[in-house]
Amino acid sequence: MEVLRKYASELLEKKAVAAVIGYVRVSDKRTRPAIITNPEDTSSLVFDNYCLNNLSVYLTKARIKALCRTSDKPMKLAITAKPCDVHSIVALIQENQIHRDDIHIISFNCGGVVKDFGLEFSKETLASKCIHCESQKPVYFDKLFGEEKKIPAAEDKQLQKINEIDSMSTEERFEFFKKEFDKCIKCYACRAVCPLCYCQRCITDKTIPCWIESSSHQRGNFSWNIVRAFHLSARCTGCGECERACPMDIPLGLINRTMAIEAKKSFSFVSGRSLEIPTLVGSFDVKDSDELFM
Amino acid sequence: MDKEKWEPKIAAFVCNWCTYTGADLAGTSRIKYPSNTKLIRVMCSGSVDPVFILKAFERGADGVLVSGCHPNDCHYNAGNFHARRRWDFFHKLLDFIGIEKERLQFSWISASEGKKFADVISKITKDIKSLGPFKAYKQMNSEFTVNFPEYNESSNSINKELQ
Amino acid sequence: MTEKIILKDDFLKICSDLLSKGDTLLAPGQAEYIRIKDISEIILNTSALPPKTSFKSYAFPRSEPLLYYKRGKNDVQIIDINVEGKNIVVIGAKPCDAESLSIMNHLFTWDYEDEFFTARAKHFIVIGLMCSNFDEYCFCTSVGTSPVSEKGSDLFLIPLDENTFAIRIVTEKGNEFLKPYTEFLKDGNEQNSAMITKKVKFPEIAFDKDEVYEWLGNNFESPKWENIGNVCLSCAQCAFACPVCHCFDIVDEDYSYSEGRRMKNWDGCQFGHFTLHASGHNPRDLQSKRYRQRINHKFRYYVDRFGKILCTGCGRCSRGCPVSINIKEIVSNCKD
Repeated sequence: MEVLRKYASELLEKKAVAAVIGYVRVSDKRTRPAIITNPEDTSSLVFDNYCLNNLSVYLTKARIKALCRTSDKPMKLAITAKPCDVHSIVALIQENQIHRDDIHIISFNCGGVVKDFGLEFSKETLASKCIHCESQKPVYFDKLFGEEKKIPAAEDKQLQKINEIDSMSTEERFEFFKKEFDKCIKCYACRAVCPLCYCQRCITDKTIPCWIESSSHQRGNFSWNIVRAFHLSARCTGCGECERACPMDIPLGLINRTMAIEAKKSFSFVSGRSLEIPTLVGSFDVKDSDELFM
Repeated sequence: MDKEKWEPKIAAFVCNWCTYTGADLAGTSRIKYPSNTKLIRVMCSGSVDPVFILKAFERGADGVLVSGCHPNDCHYNAGNFHARRRWDFFHKLLDFIGIEKERLQFSWISASEGKKFADVISKITKDIKSLGPFKAYKQMNSEFTVNFPEYNESSNSINKELQ
Repeated sequence: MTEKIILKDDFLKICSDLLSKGDTLLAPGQAEYIRIKDISEIILNTSALPPKTSFKSYAFPRSEPLLYYKRGKNDVQIIDINVEGKNIVVIGAKPCDAESLSIMNHLFTWDYEDEFFTARAKHFIVIGLMCSNFDEYCFCTSVGTSPVSEKGSDLFLIPLDENTFAIRIVTEKGNEFLKPYTEFLKDGNEQNSAMITKKVKFPEIAFDKDEVYEWLGNNFESPKWENIGNVCLSCAQCAFACPVCHCFDIVDEDYSYSEGRRMKNWDGCQFGHFTLHASGHNPRDLQSKRYRQRINHKFRYYVDRFGKILCTGCGRCSRGCPVSINIKEIVSNCKD
């Protein structure tokens, strides 16, 4: 922890970066994102099993980008990122939202995080993304901290649920999701926390013509949740923030993961793993399957 | 509803350069095909947004067809290639959410394939007929939420009054 | 105010009688106030934290139709909606939720009466239950209420022991409600229940509400807002979980080309487009301005207009905030 604080403080003092986006502790089992511009404030930086937020969501915010232009020469942004958050950063770079040269990634060897604040870290409370985590080491970084850790092995309940849904009949699946989406209150927390939901104006906020009804009745909820899931399919890096942020506990991760599994199965593509290849939905291959088309 | 008498409503988003012209050819060649399908002409199959399809379902379509130029034939070079990947995911997503695969179909029909156009329309009409009306989605028009059954009642009674 | 004593079993008998009459019964569950189908679902637990959402949605639904319309050849036919308020009994409302409807009522009866809200709200019977638990996000004592406050409740329950409750009759409405059930009631002694309420631990007072009021008036341009605005991600979890937030949006949506309905939907002041004008101008274009509005509305503007703080100290907004912004901490920092 001390090395992280010292490193961050040095970066700011040297004016190598305009701000450090990091985690600060607010209570025993809770951390909060913080945008630190003053070297003295780095003393509150932390990194542990309670750093749940995916901070890359801040990288596309105009107000954060503006911090880089406060002095004469444009500066970088430093971000503390778990290895899984680095995938989101990679996806953002691939989609031309940020430049690799503009950010300074401080990453960690990760030992897993809890699924929600306030819980004791154990294999029962492990976040579902950590259970099937294949990237405890970041794929890209400018500075790496921490020793290699082991994530406790736990049952992959999410995958079990996906298989269970897969084995249901079409009607049962429709009923299941209708019931889940019915809970939605359209607070759009899922959209707000998603690093890849960076549109200046979301399609659901456009009302002339009104494609997605803003009412949170069944029809409006259904449209919103399908469109959200579709816009993220094959792009979602599986950080699980939407599911955690949802106040109504809608299992959004089930849909996101299913689409990720499909992308892997059909195109051997996993989002946010490499800067060398283009995004899946942003590119095409003439040899793609024609199976779907009559 | 009497299943024998019931006729499905199908929305077809067809590309201006191939499928729409193919439909023209089917007409001028006097090929007969079912009249359940309403054609909506778009510039490219790549320009069809998934919300168009959801809106069609909301407005009472029992099935949707999206059709464009064959691969390599796109007027805009790559529109249908992009569409192909996108529809692959959208189709899988709808399937996972619980919408029958046959409700949403895709095809490549060129300007010279009037016969194929008629065949595709006949096939999708037959498929949708055997599935029956898309009650599950239509029900959401009158159902508000599970939490407030009293709204469902009031909106149902008003729906009846409107009809 | 009079106090009676009732056995828990007798109280449940009243509940099952209400159920058989067809009244709607609500009781706190894990995530929300649930509709009771069977009295076994009623758990009168004083140590539970407030559920994730309040019962405001039963008086002010997240989405409701205001009217239906149908276009004819030359005219438009309007079909009004008659809101028939049905009795809704909230059993074991947290003291921080109990007051919510009366606070919101100020707004909905202010310049014109919102018949949709008032028709439902006047049929509410709120049976509050003393609260004996708090966490780091609770601050009811700072906004002038408390875990044993009867404000907003028609009847208030205090557990004397495992099987008996002291039931305080707070309002005339509560008195009327209990009339058919006098056989279950015994005379109580206020001193006995006061012994219990005295022992309840209160959350520490985090801020002085009058000082906050003053500070907000003088610090509209404080740099503190910018710091919060940088972190906040502009979702409306805080507003939608809040028991007293009441902003709404009115939209028309169509069934088909000639018929549709006008909807009243929840809206949240943290959304970027909440204040977006048709011209494209947005007076609250930055998140810092939107957050400032949220705090000012709750702790200053509402006080100016109605003499009430628009906050019950339940802490839901902080508990559920995706980026862990704690309103208690922010308002406590509203000083020089």
